Amino acid sequence: MDEMLQALLLFWIPVSMVPLGLWHSHSSTATVSTLRGRSLAFSGIILICLSPWTVPSSPSSAAGHLLGAIIGPCTMLIFGIYLISFSGNVPVGKLPRSDRKIGVLMAIVGFVWLAGMHWWILTPQLSLNVVNPYWYVFWPTFILLISCLASCSAVTLLMIGDQRKSESNTMFILSGLSFSLLLLGLYIDGPLVSGEEFRQHLWLAVADLAGIAVGSLLSILVFALVIYGYERNLAEPKSISPPTDSELKQVSKLIATHIGGEQE
Amino acid sequence: MKESNLVFTWRMMLLAFFLPPLLILAIEVTLAGDFKGIDSGVSFTRFANATLTAYTLCSLFLLGNLFFYGESRNRPLAPLVGMVLATALGVLATVLFIGQGSMLLENNGSVRAQTIYNIVHMFVSSGAILMAVSVGVGVTFSAITSQKPRSNFVLEEE
Repeated sequence: MDEMLQALLLFWIPVSMVPLGLWHSHSSTATVSTLRGRSLAFSGIILICLSPWTVPSSPSSAAGHLLGAIIGPCTMLIFGIYLISFSGNVPVGKLPRSDRKIGVLMAIVGFVWLAGMHWWILTPQLSLNVVNPYWYVFWPTFILLISCLASCSAVTLLMIGDQRKSESNTMFILSGLSFSLLLLGLYIDGPLVSGEEFRQHLWLAVADLAGIAVGSLLSILVFALVIYGYERNLAEPKSISPPTDSELKQVSKLIATHIGGEQE
Repeated sequence: MKESNLVFTWRMMLLAFFLPPLLILAIEVTLAGDFKGIDSGVSFTRFANATLTAYTLCSLFLLGNLFFYGESRNRPLAPLVGMVLATALGVLATVLFIGQGSMLLENNGSVRAQTIYNIVHMFVSSGAILMAVSVGVGVTFSAITSQKPRSNFVLEEE
């Protein structure tokens, strides 16, 4: 089979299955449609993860390889945070208190697993000692953005929140932890990722984040302008004539019959 | 006892957001004496590619949202055509700028290879952003729910 066709069938169609499946599952309230949409998205994810074996000739399949490598720790991290959050003081959907310990353990293992991909033997490799190029994109972007968001969240909790100092301190600790990981990455070489490579990719991640922010804001601006232009050119809605005296009388009569409670 | 809150300002929030990269920059300059990790040409290429790809993909996503907007407006064609044109402009600009030569090519030999690389790169970056936002929001939420329940009423002393 032609390489391009192979990539289209075994990588790009599965990639498109994920948003299509999610859209389908959210656009209908019927259980069958929701289930069908979720199955489509899940099959897409599985096929993307399998792409390094199904389409090894395509360079894009390295993204599938990365997804397969990080899906475990990322799921553990997110599910751990979910368990910690909902085993606390929440008014709805409260989980048993014992789930908190499992959640903390899952979140720590997930984070350590991801960190171990930089400083230990867990680095995603396409072949022996060849690091997946998309790992250099994912890790600096992820760790830098966590540090920025946690710092912003900590200051926001202090400014807007009422007596949120301990929560703010937690966020400062998270920001400091990820900042320390960034500094360690810059000055301490991992087994496969050197500090120099990490430095290069960290600044590329900054450029990447800035580009994504500018591009997304531009498209939102264009979208708003398109809607504004359309709404402004719409004709004025037809005004209806004011109610007549007989209509007003009928309305007052109806209101009068429905006002007031029973007399004791 | 009520704690004294900081005054809310957007400048303060923006500074808090940009503090980590600024600190790293300061440490790098202090220790190394220059920006040895920053290659302005490569960084600009990445920035430009990310801008073009994010604009095009985000426009495509918003174009999809216009169908839901149309549901409440008797399915008008005008905004749909406007957004299709805006998306097409993004695609054309991407092809045109990448086709100019080595300016926007990152270790890729052709416009098609660079465009596909840009899209895959955007998926990976978006995944990292989504994960970071989930962790940031999730940890904030879990820090808030970990505290003891508060009463919203202050009991008056008799």
